Amino acid sequence: MSQSRQINVSKNGVPVIAIVVLAIIFAVGLFVVGFDQGHIFSLVYGEEAFQDMYIHELTHDMRHAAGFPCH
Amino acid sequence: MKTFLFILIVIASGASAGLILGVANLVFVEPSLDQATGIENQHLFATGEEKDTPEFQIKYEGYRTWQKSGQMLAGGILGISIGSLFGIAFALSRNALPGKTDIKKALVLAGIMWLTIYFIPFLKYPANPPTVGDPETVILRGILYLSFITISGFGAVGFYKLSQKLKTKKFIAIVGYVAFIVIAFITMPENPDQITAPVDLVNHFRMMSAFTVSLYWLSLGLILGSLWTHYKPHKEITSFS
Ligand SMILES: [Zn+2]
Repeated sequence: MSQSRQINVSKNGVPVIAIVVLAIIFAVGLFVVGFDQGHIFSLVYGEEAFQDMYIHELTHDMRHAAGFPCH
Repeated sequence: MKTFLFILIVIASGASAGLILGVANLVFVEPSLDQATGIENQHLFATGEEKDTPEFQIKYEGYRTWQKSGQMLAGGILGISIGSLFGIAFALSRNALPGKTDIKKALVLAGIMWLTIYFIPFLKYPANPPTVGDPETVILRGILYLSFITISGFGAVGFYKLSQKLKTKKFIAIVGYVAFIVIAFITMPENPDQITAPVDLVNHFRMMSAFTVSLYWLSLGLILGSLWTHYKPHKEITSFS
């Protein structure tokens, strides 16, 4: 038990899995609100998504308010 | 550390602070956004791209209402996102942070992160209301902004590590970070866009924007610190063997 625990925990006692999960949430969330220009929906809807920019339009006001570059 | 409880606390505090940000934006920032999009409409009427008809106004109002609802959704997502980074940083640095209580520690860290990854980048690349940005340069501006945040953030971590090695004369690390960020500030290219919107509108918008984002960081520190104090996720689960 104690051996496997040493492998999965960083030297500060923070579980590595928690850091990985939170780092992914951070990156995806930041991209969605701050930078997406249709990229995420293009995975499903193809080129059309870059025209519609649904996520961009929906997060648009926050994009300006929180200081991300926009139009 | 209780892994699941830790993640839950981080997400809950990020979401709560993010919703506070959303509400604050609706109250303080949206009036400037409405003003700026109103100017855009005047341009559209002047160039003949759109006609100032009741139909246009209904369509426009509906669209803006939808976008404003997005403010709350985006507040939740952005709140959880930045909150996750804050949670990682807090868990890793908690033992080293000054302050006797977890609330004080969380507020100190929130202050440092606010300064290094929000406020200093904001001074270099301040927020702009609609009509200012050129859509052609949005990717360049995104890269510049994100690069400067990354440089400042990793710079702060680097000089913090240095300060741990210095033991005495820790202030040298702070002086080092200041020199480092001044050089980055001067050498990074300027925002390429010309500001054509009224100066008063742009300045008011920037003040309101800085206010609500700062409110977010304050809320985040307070809420995470309080939840941490209450639930103590750093404590190991006591086993009865
Ligand atoms: Zn915009």
